[in-house]
Amino acid sequence: MSHSVEHPILDPTLAAPFPKAALPVLRDPQLRKNVAHAIDVIQTKRGKLVAEKTDWQELRSAAADIRTHVLENLGAYLEQFEERCTAAGGHVHCASDADEARQIILDILREENASEVIKIKTMTSGEIQLNPFLQASGVGVFETDLAEIILQLGNEEPSHIVVPALHINRSQVREIFAKSMGRPELSDDPQALTEAARIYLRRKFLDIPSAISGANYLVAETGGVVIVESEGNGRMCLTLPKTLITLAGIEKVVPRFEDLEVMLQVLARSATGERMNPYTSLWSGVTPGDGPQNFHVVLLDNARSSILGKPRERQTLRCIRCAACINACPVYRQTGGHAYGSVYPGPIGAILTPQLMQMRHAQSLPYASSLCGACYEVCPVKINIPEILIDLRAQVIDQQRHNIGRFFDPLYLGLRIAGFLFSRAFLFHAAQRLGRVGAGLFTHKDGWIHSMPSVGGKWTQTRDLRGFPNQTFREWWQNRPARSSTQIAKEPK
Amino acid sequence: MSVTQGSRAKVLDRIRSATASVAADAANLHELHAAIPRSYIRKGELSESAKIALLIERLRDYDADVVECKLEELPDTIAAMLSASGRHTFGAPSGLPAAWMPSGFDWKLDGGLTHEQIEVLDGVVTGASCAVADSGTIVLHHTPSEGRRVLTLLPDWHLCTLYADQVVETLPEYFARVQHPPALATWISGPSATADIEMTRIKGVHGPRHLNVILVHH
Repeated sequence: MSHSVEHPILDPTLAAPFPKAALPVLRDPQLRKNVAHAIDVIQTKRGKLVAEKTDWQELRSAAADIRTHVLENLGAYLEQFEERCTAAGGHVHCASDADEARQIILDILREENASEVIKIKTMTSGEIQLNPFLQASGVGVFETDLAEIILQLGNEEPSHIVVPALHINRSQVREIFAKSMGRPELSDDPQALTEAARIYLRRKFLDIPSAISGANYLVAETGGVVIVESEGNGRMCLTLPKTLITLAGIEKVVPRFEDLEVMLQVLARSATGERMNPYTSLWSGVTPGDGPQNFHVVLLDNARSSILGKPRERQTLRCIRCAACINACPVYRQTGGHAYGSVYPGPIGAILTPQLMQMRHAQSLPYASSLCGACYEVCPVKINIPEILIDLRAQVIDQQRHNIGRFFDPLYLGLRIAGFLFSRAFLFHAAQRLGRVGAGLFTHKDGWIHSMPSVGGKWTQTRDLRGFPNQTFREWWQNRPARSSTQIAKEPK
Repeated sequence: MSVTQGSRAKVLDRIRSATASVAADAANLHELHAAIPRSYIRKGELSESAKIALLIERLRDYDADVVECKLEELPDTIAAMLSASGRHTFGAPSGLPAAWMPSGFDWKLDGGLTHEQIEVLDGVVTGASCAVADSGTIVLHHTPSEGRRVLTLLPDWHLCTLYADQVVETLPEYFARVQHPPALATWISGPSATADIEMTRIKGVHGPRHLNVILVHH
């Protein structure tokens, strides 16, 4: 595979800032074509099926209200889930951070003497970078979702949360499968490639006795877990193994079984543009004679509780990971997912990742948006993403202002000087006259400034700036020819 | 147990203090939840026949094979569909009515069949708990006539029998019907599928690739 020059880094502590990380994709026409094609297909399907749903806005409102209610009462609902799941035969663990979650999962697998594990696609496991940890600890990890297999076998990284391999086209998939499965005869027909994945995984499903899943919803009322999927690999992992470990963010709870009537309706339409996804599974604890008899749920905090404590940012946790915002985003469409330096790309990634990092990393992401609001409009749980983006930008600025090394940064120095000048009229007028002379040095004959030195270059890098006008409004007002009030009244309207 | 105990108290404390200003008293929780406005469509408006027609349209849209029959024709209809499939060995959940297992085929009644035994079956015949016309969804609660989850998973061919009075129009109508939430449930909307390669919908990845439905009119 040679379509991207550098291997993308999806660890927010190591990833390059967004503008730099986006460059490899912007320079790769094939990759951009693959992303645009996939997004167009999903958007068309979603648009058609949302339009068909006459109560779409009412469903969105109910979904948002249910999620808000859960988050405001998360402690009570989590305890209820824990109690009911335990009563049904499950084991519930709480992990305060990624380290702890990984260790709990490894301990459970060691207890079972597991040398291999099969997995359902879970973004949360990507968030805690579970696979490399398990592999390094001697546990072989086999992804079972078709897109995840493509990524795992091709040593690629996910670029979307619902269709993680959308940046890879069929001939690239063929190349990966032919090489890693030892099947050079394979054609690039998606049907044949899907069949190859079915054969590749069949024995693994039957032979590997441990599985790891994420969760779409945890039902507090029953202690049940819900997985929404298309392929049936999820059902295989939830049914065939002896041990099942479910890793779920603490925010995944819904209060009652009947709340699924809302959540399932909004999820499938938003995620894949289907009336309903092919398979949805619900199980509560352990059922004798049916499915895994050793069942664990690992509830992951990993900074979610700190997001929960902020009234405006709290809505971030309503997210049901449908990717509607990603598909609607004009920025994502151009850059693809890898530029976001996290397993969560697009608008939701731009607000979620910095917050999961407690604003210590990924500070460029709140700027990876045009604030057009398309994400808010499509969000099935009405997360006001632009509002949070702006708030996070303010936090980034505050952080930088408090950073002593930034005191003499030309940008902040300039802004402090501007603040001083602009609050005093005579200095302001003097600055205007001086600015006109100064800017004149950089203004081209066409009246535009195309490039500026130092901090000004940050603006002109991406857009031109109008040169200063020859007079200010105040100057024009004072110098205008004197007219009497009757003259003005006579002028035609 | 050597498993890391985790940080239950720490995490719950953080959550409680993060939500201290907004969390309701435990006693009011149920009431607050019940007060969430639900102005979306809960009850359908279609006639019985239009509802059945919609379900059939949706199922066919998912590439499922659907036939309709009267109650007294059911055994013959099942036999005809099994014959037409060209398959011979079929699995049956422990509680499948005897009349649904026509002679002339090799039946494996599930009383603890191993995964390997289920894997080699040509197909499986089951009942269902409910169907939702609006989304073309068949709901299994894995009762004795619907079988263990694995039984409707490994075989490549699934025949599901559905009575007309089990069909509801909307998803909320299904939830309204469920008195006690099931411990296990599988909602099936068409056969296994993927669109992971260039968003091309491919039928049949890991679950049964062939879904057949008999709709029984009383």
